[in-house]
Amino acid sequence: MNKTGIASKIIIISCSTVFVFMIVGSILIIQYEINILNNITDGKIDQEENVFQIDYFQEKQRLKKQLEKHIQNMVLIMKSVDVIYEQTFQFQIQMLCMQPMIRAVEFCDQNDNSFLSAWFEEKVHVSKQLPKKFDLSNFQHIKFQTDIPAINTINLYYTTNLIKNKLLNRKNKNTQELFQIREEIYEKLKGVLLTQSFGTLLVVAILCAFLVISLRLFILNPIEELMDISNRLKKFDLSVDILSNSNSYELNLLVQALAQLLIGFRSIISDVKENSGLLSNSADNMTGIAEQLTSHSVDAESQVNSVAEASVQISGNIHSIAESVEQISENVQSVSMTSDFLFQNINSVANAIEELSSSLTHVGERVKKGTQIAEKAVLLAQKAGETVNILRHAANEISGVSEFIQRIAHKTNILSLNATIEAASAGSAGRGFSVVASAIQEFAEQSSRAAKDITERIAGVQRGTSEIETAFSDVSAIIKEMNLSSESISFSVIEQTKAVQEIANNALEADERARNINIAIEELSKTANEAAENITQVALGANDVSTRIQSVSKNISFNRQISHQINEAAIVLNHLSGNLKDMVDPFKV
Amino acid sequence: MKNIPTERKKIATTKRQFCTFQLAGHYCGVDILDVKEIIDEVTLTKIHHAPPEMMGFVNIRGHVHLVLDLRLLLNFNSKPIDDSSRVLLFHPNVGESFGVMVDQIGHMVEVEESLIEYRIADDSISGINRDFRKTDLEKGVCKLEDKLLIILDAPMFLNAVEIKR
Repeated sequence: MNKTGIASKIIIISCSTVFVFMIVGSILIIQYEINILNNITDGKIDQEENVFQIDYFQEKQRLKKQLEKHIQNMVLIMKSVDVIYEQTFQFQIQMLCMQPMIRAVEFCDQNDNSFLSAWFEEKVHVSKQLPKKFDLSNFQHIKFQTDIPAINTINLYYTTNLIKNKLLNRKNKNTQELFQIREEIYEKLKGVLLTQSFGTLLVVAILCAFLVISLRLFILNPIEELMDISNRLKKFDLSVDILSNSNSYELNLLVQALAQLLIGFRSIISDVKENSGLLSNSADNMTGIAEQLTSHSVDAESQVNSVAEASVQISGNIHSIAESVEQISENVQSVSMTSDFLFQNINSVANAIEELSSSLTHVGERVKKGTQIAEKAVLLAQKAGETVNILRHAANEISGVSEFIQRIAHKTNILSLNATIEAASAGSAGRGFSVVASAIQEFAEQSSRAAKDITERIAGVQRGTSEIETAFSDVSAIIKEMNLSSESISFSVIEQTKAVQEIANNALEADERARNINIAIEELSKTANEAAENITQVALGANDVSTRIQSVSKNISFNRQISHQINEAAIVLNHLSGNLKDMVDPFKV
Repeated sequence: MKNIPTERKKIATTKRQFCTFQLAGHYCGVDILDVKEIIDEVTLTKIHHAPPEMMGFVNIRGHVHLVLDLRLLLNFNSKPIDDSSRVLLFHPNVGESFGVMVDQIGHMVEVEESLIEYRIADDSISGINRDFRKTDLEKGVCKLEDKLLIILDAPMFLNAVEIKR
């Protein structure tokens, strides 16, 4: 009953939700329509207001024109009369005031002072002037100029309230009609909504009831019957009879299939019951024998086999070990020889390295001396440059001196010429002097030639000195480079000596280590000999082990017989189990 | 033409001395007896409005001497004074205290009278057309061993200036 209740609940809930959605949708649609209606009516009202304003303005204009025409007519009438009496004015003014919209009239003379006025206050009053309490500000005003001599201007005050009221009444009537129409439409829409909701409710309720009833009749009742049957089957009660009397075709098919299954199952179960007793007995036998088999044959056979193989291997291995130990002792002896040789070599290497370090220190000293010599050479080159400079100065001075000599030679030449001239003028007395003068002239020429020679030579000397200077500067630069390189050499030599000393220390250490190695190898040879002796004893023990393993193998043959018996029992059991399988196979299908 | 060899024979044995100098590449000389002195360091004082042949005055030991430009007198172009320029001062019997500027002084040359060939004045050429300097300033030519020496007539130098004016 519970399940049916849930199904009907689901149907009812879904139907009610559909109903609610439909109602909400219709309400929304009606709301939208009402909005549209409101907008339309508001537009209409605005239109009415505009029409009213325009009409009012037009009416006002028309009234004004009408009144002006009226006054004009009056003035024409008055002009046509020959003589105007005061009564005529009064009559005319009363006539004017009889008009429904005119509230007051004033006749004014040339100075704009009113001499006759009429106004309407419950009835028509006539006086000279308008009373001061009479308020003119609410009225429209027309000022009319006349060409009658008595009246200059006519002031006319009138009201437009009558027209306005008329138009307002019309407008209000229209708007009220509109509002009434709108209210009617509202009422009608409400009716529509109500009827729509009731109708949908009815339809949904009918649908719901129909669904619930059909569900109960065609599906739930047969299922309840099937549930009864299945409850009995659950208790292994196979004596149930199944009758198919259901209304629906599909459920009938299901019930028939169930009945066939039940009949097959019943026959299989009876066969199984017969065979089960036999199977249990043979299975008991088999388990007992199988335990023996597992405990003896598997464990023992595998272990003994492995042990026998191991013993054979061990004896072989021990032989090989003995051989290798002998080889080891031989090798150790050769190693000790080579270690001796190594020790000697390392000794000689250490000595050589010490010699190398001493020679390197020598080299360092030499290099230092070389740098000192280079410094001295630089100093000497500088000195030589200075001396060359001095030499150039001296050459310059010499060239000056030679010029001086040349000048003296010229002077001497002139002097000798003059002396010759003097000698010539002295005549024969000066003949001896002229010889002297010519000799002096010759000397002067020679000295001038010598001076020229000297200047040429000195120029050569100057050229040579400049070349020497350049050569000296080159030489000093080279020596400086040499100095730099020798410094770097000395630095590297110092580093090398350090490295060589380290090597020497290492070599000494290596020497000690080699000595230690020598000692250790001697010990090793002793122990190797001992090991060889021990291994011969081990070989004897291994022989003993192999004899014991042979006795174990006899036990294993016994175990094998037992395993044969177990095999036979297992075959019987196999037969039984095959029968059982045949019985159980249809049960699976 | 025939008078001259006889004249040469008279003074054949006599020797004459000349003071030689270079002038515009020519080798010239004057009689040594006309020369008073050779001066090397010359400071000239210019004479305004004087003819260009007069180079100026020179003061030698308190005496003022006139210096002529021998190049201009011999129709060569003038040349500025340099180191080798010298002034030959002449004896007072040649002319009153004057000298000439030469390019370079040479030696004293002693030659035989026979080696000199004197110039013969050619009167057939009219006075206006003849070149005064070539005819009157050159006395003759002396044949030396390797070259010829033009012998100038020193007493004519002052006259040459005056005539030119």
